[in-house]
Amino acid sequence: MISTQFAISKTERDLTLGTLLRWTLIVAAVLAVIVQPLFEEWQMVAVGVLVAIGVIWMVLGVGSLRRASSGATSLIAAGEFDLAEGRIADALGSFSLFRMTKLMCLHDLAVLRHAQNRWQESAILCRALLNLRPISQAGIDRSSRLILAESLLELNDLPGVHENLAALYNQRLSLRQALGLMGVQVDYLSRVGEWNQIFAGVATKTELAELLPSSQSARVQALMGLAAQKINRMDWRDWLRRRVELLADVHKLCADRPILWELWRS
Amino acid sequence: MGNFGYPLPSLMSENPQQFLDVDALLERSRPRAPGARLGRMAGVFLLVVLLSAFVSSRGGEAASVVDLISNLVMVGLVGGLILFSWRTTRRTRMESMALQAIDELLCLRRWPEAAGVLNTMLSRPVVLAQSRTQGLIFLSGLLARYHRFDDAIRVQDELIENGRLDPASEYSLKMSRTMAMLRQDHLVDADRSINELRNYAARAGRALGQGQTPYELSAGLAVLEVYRDVKTGHSAEAIELFNTTLPTIREQLGHRIADGYVLAARAYDLLGQTDSAQDYYTKATFLAPAAELHRRYPETEPLAGKYRAAEGPKEAA
Repeated sequence: MISTQFAISKTERDLTLGTLLRWTLIVAAVLAVIVQPLFEEWQMVAVGVLVAIGVIWMVLGVGSLRRASSGATSLIAAGEFDLAEGRIADALGSFSLFRMTKLMCLHDLAVLRHAQNRWQESAILCRALLNLRPISQAGIDRSSRLILAESLLELNDLPGVHENLAALYNQRLSLRQALGLMGVQVDYLSRVGEWNQIFAGVATKTELAELLPSSQSARVQALMGLAAQKINRMDWRDWLRRRVELLADVHKLCADRPILWELWRS
Repeated sequence: MGNFGYPLPSLMSENPQQFLDVDALLERSRPRAPGARLGRMAGVFLLVVLLSAFVSSRGGEAASVVDLISNLVMVGLVGGLILFSWRTTRRTRMESMALQAIDELLCLRRWPEAAGVLNTMLSRPVVLAQSRTQGLIFLSGLLARYHRFDDAIRVQDELIENGRLDPASEYSLKMSRTMAMLRQDHLVDADRSINELRNYAARAGRALGQGQTPYELSAGLAVLEVYRDVKTGHSAEAIELFNTTLPTIREQLGHRIADGYVLAARAYDLLGQTDSAQDYYTKATFLAPAAELHRRYPETEPLAGKYRAAEGPKEAA
């Protein structure tokens, strides 16, 4: 089991080391080119240095790129958590010349902890990632923020959820991220009792909810059904409630979100 | 949503039949061999080096002129290489963005727009073989959507033979191909394909060692078999299989459980059990519009005239 603190400190250390090595190689290459015309007898040495730098860069670069696609994401999606943990541990232990590879590794660990319902660790990892700027490449920042918002929701840290949802609203999201955001937002609004806001645009939200994975789709539709009940739209309440019954085990759903019992007790 | 650098031809939504020309797209989208251009550059480089060495060895004024020219050519080659890398990277990024856009358009059921971006993307050599594979997977789904099942099967065959797919993608593609075969009434081929899929899922179940049946591992396989049984008139078997695998289908397929309900409703209808047929038809139409379900499975169209669909709120229609 990878310790959260170890993963963060190892990533920070590797990022510093990677940056140092990259700059050392670049400075050495530049020096070799500049110094070469000044000393006639250094010509071959300079060429040798340049070739050596090229080889080191290529070997480390290819190794880094190979480790970048560790395949942990697909293993997590398939529920193979132990295998995914092993792959992440391997990637974490190895050196990478590129910043992105190390950040992706930490991100994969945050996704894994989120999938394992270990919300506290997932939130710590996402916060650490968001502090390691810049991470805007490949959308890691948006994805991390979304996972952080979801983890904080499970930890009942509502101000934290609000802060991260607000930050996400200023960014361009992919469809899958937008769907994830809708799920977290509906859940958050139900905690703060904003039933009118949940019900606003209910037809579009219902269509979008159909694109979510089964359990999330059922939860979002159930919360919208509850919102419909709260604002006395019984046609929507009945329809959404019936759909949820067909999509999920109601007892399991309500055990996860006890507020939803109201929808079936009425 | 933008078109990610791919122009949308104006006629595409009017006639998708002519628009998605499968043979042309399969041929034109093949990636160019990356070595050809680099080989030409290496050839020029070698020629310059040899020529420069030859003239320099003879000395004189010509040597300094050739030195200058060869330096310029070197700079040109390096510049060309940088430009080539930059253009390749840019095209790769554009292709990746286009694939994401197609994925989103398909999710949002904006078929003509998805077809437009896909058609343009596959009408010229794709940079990465993986991007072509992903594009062709989307194309086969889109062709099935337009009921061009033979074309979809051709694309799927090409992918299975040459696509270098991972096992999960290959399994999923084979399921889509089997569904296309069923739609085209290629029942013998479909039956053989279902057996292969079942054997594969059984092997995977044994490898996992958790005692799962093929249907518990693959809800899609269960729906395929229910559809085949409805098509071939084995209604009792279809109902039994659907009811047994209902929890798995619900968990794995979410809203697509409506497909199973409507097929089971048809099976009950064929057996004359109208109450159960009505119950299942209502359940199916709670989750998906009746018209969409009948479009997916034309065999269920007779249900529309006999049974009442679920009614949702007006705004949901």
